Amino acid sequence: MKTEVVIYACQQAVPNPDFLRTQWGQEDIRLLVLPEPCSSKIEAFQLLRTLATPADLVWVIGCAEDLCRYNEGSHRLGNRITYTQRYLKEIGLEPDRVGRTVVVPGDAPGLAAAVAEIKAKALALGPSPLKSMGEKGKREKPKK
Amino acid sequence: MHRVPPRFTPLAKTTIIDWNEGCLRCRRCVKEVCPVDAYKKRDFDRRQFVDTIDEMCRSCYRCVQGCPRELVFKALNPQYRQLGDDYYTPEIIGTTWYQAETGKIPVSGAGYGGAFAGEGFDSLWTDMSEIVRPTRDGIHGREYISTAIDLGRKPMFLVFDEAGALVFEPPPLLELPLPVVLAEPPLGADPQRLRQILVDAAQTLGTLTLMARKAVSPDLLDAAAALVPQFPPGDLNLNDPLLSEVRAIELADHPEVISRMEALKRRYPRLIVWIRVPGNHQAPDRVAALAAAGAEVIHLAATEKARGLDEASDLHLKDLIRRAHLKLVEKQLRDAVTLLASGGIALAEHVAKAIICGADGIIVDIPLLLSLECRLCRQCARNRKNPCPIELESLNIKRGSQRMVNLMGAWNNQLLEILGAMGMREVRRLRGEVGRAMFKEDLDKEIFAPLFARPEGETRRVGE
Repeated sequence: MKTEVVIYACQQAVPNPDFLRTQWGQEDIRLLVLPEPCSSKIEAFQLLRTLATPADLVWVIGCAEDLCRYNEGSHRLGNRITYTQRYLKEIGLEPDRVGRTVVVPGDAPGLAAAVAEIKAKALALGPSPLKSMGEKGKREKPKK
Repeated sequence: MHRVPPRFTPLAKTTIIDWNEGCLRCRRCVKEVCPVDAYKKRDFDRRQFVDTIDEMCRSCYRCVQGCPRELVFKALNPQYRQLGDDYYTPEIIGTTWYQAETGKIPVSGAGYGGAFAGEGFDSLWTDMSEIVRPTRDGIHGREYISTAIDLGRKPMFLVFDEAGALVFEPPPLLELPLPVVLAEPPLGADPQRLRQILVDAAQTLGTLTLMARKAVSPDLLDAAAALVPQFPPGDLNLNDPLLSEVRAIELADHPEVISRMEALKRRYPRLIVWIRVPGNHQAPDRVAALAAAGAEVIHLAATEKARGLDEASDLHLKDLIRRAHLKLVEKQLRDAVTLLASGGIALAEHVAKAIICGADGIIVDIPLLLSLECRLCRQCARNRKNPCPIELESLNIKRGSQRMVNLMGAWNNQLLEILGAMGMREVRRLRGEVGRAMFKEDLDKEIFAPLFARPEGETRRVGE
């Protein structure tokens, strides 16, 4: 079963999303990079719903909190990640399946290090246990 | 035409950033008064990992302006900006999706916020001096405006014998109800399905579709009358059974093309032979030579970004058409031959502008792929095994065909609007009517050249 990773990338922190794709180099793990206007575009429900797809790891790359273009965006995202991780723990999933990295906008070595961190995390966690539980994320109709 | 909703959430131009933490819990939240109920209906698209709120939002900014804690923002969507490329821009892709879904003319609101002029087709303005009449009366249901064109060789005169009968058999002519021929796009994740969709759309529209001979599979033969198979040089077999089933074929230009055409015409006299001429610097002379030698339809081909081929990359398709058209006029051959142009026809206005420059009709390819919700990511062109983000391989043929028909219907309606605004009743009359257009290059020369011209004998001005 192939591991899948979804990265939501703030466009200020990651001006060139292709950089992440070229740095990835891990053929057996499928990577999807989605550029966003700010990391705070991603809400907790989106993180959880992303994990309810075949994605095994969801990561958000944003700007350092004091450099956020929206002032509070990166800080708010940090709180959302903490909330989501706590929620995952409550439902019995590894909290590490959701994470974030903050970088200084335009810091290529920082981004390369973030990619290495995400890759290591994906390899360590492997496929989501939800995958072995049948069709992921499918809501069962309530029995009448 | 009927509405065909998209299978995938169209990427919106703008996106909502919602900081719901810190909400004051107002008694009347701005999200509750959203005119389209976007906050209530929002969902998560599992296939594209996007919040569907952006697609529903109509950018009225009511929520942005009304939230007392200023917790809602709008921002440009970077995923939208990544669509397409520098020619097929996100705006072109977005407007194509809308037309393919609804079959309606896109209306972008009051006023025009774009640049006054640009490159290529954007440097050409059409004359709308008769706009008062369509505004008053409406285009549709008033006087009939014909968008039909004829494909084939037209005799310059007729000869009758003493009994009044024609002395010679006139060459075959094909009438198309719209000046557009479909062609297989140069990319696409599932070419076989794409061809089936193209053929179905061409049949519905009553037009033709260009396709490489080797791509014509047996399942497409039922629709042979809508096909124009393309033959590369030296690849034509006169015993090919397809030749007796189709109404037209296309030969790539090569030194022996006229003799091949004549051999074909002897064997299949009702077959219309098109000749594909590359749009390079030699194209105008070559077009005139082929027309003089008896060519019926000439297809002038530019790159997919409407640029000339080979060393003519500095020329735009409109200039290539104009030069070829004027050369034919100069040789008094213009009415004898049909001139079709392809490459970079991306919008409805390009059809009218190409015709004003001198083409009889155009050949469209990539916008047909865009009508199927393609994002022009070109993953399929890099490697056929790459997954297609719009899962073209699972698209229903009738559904795809209807989206193409909708797009062409919307283009045809825009052509009718342009013709009506010009006070014209026939698209055939628009061909080469440069008097109905203004070219920015010409205006620059006409207006600015005299202002900045140096008086004779002056080599340097004061201050230079």
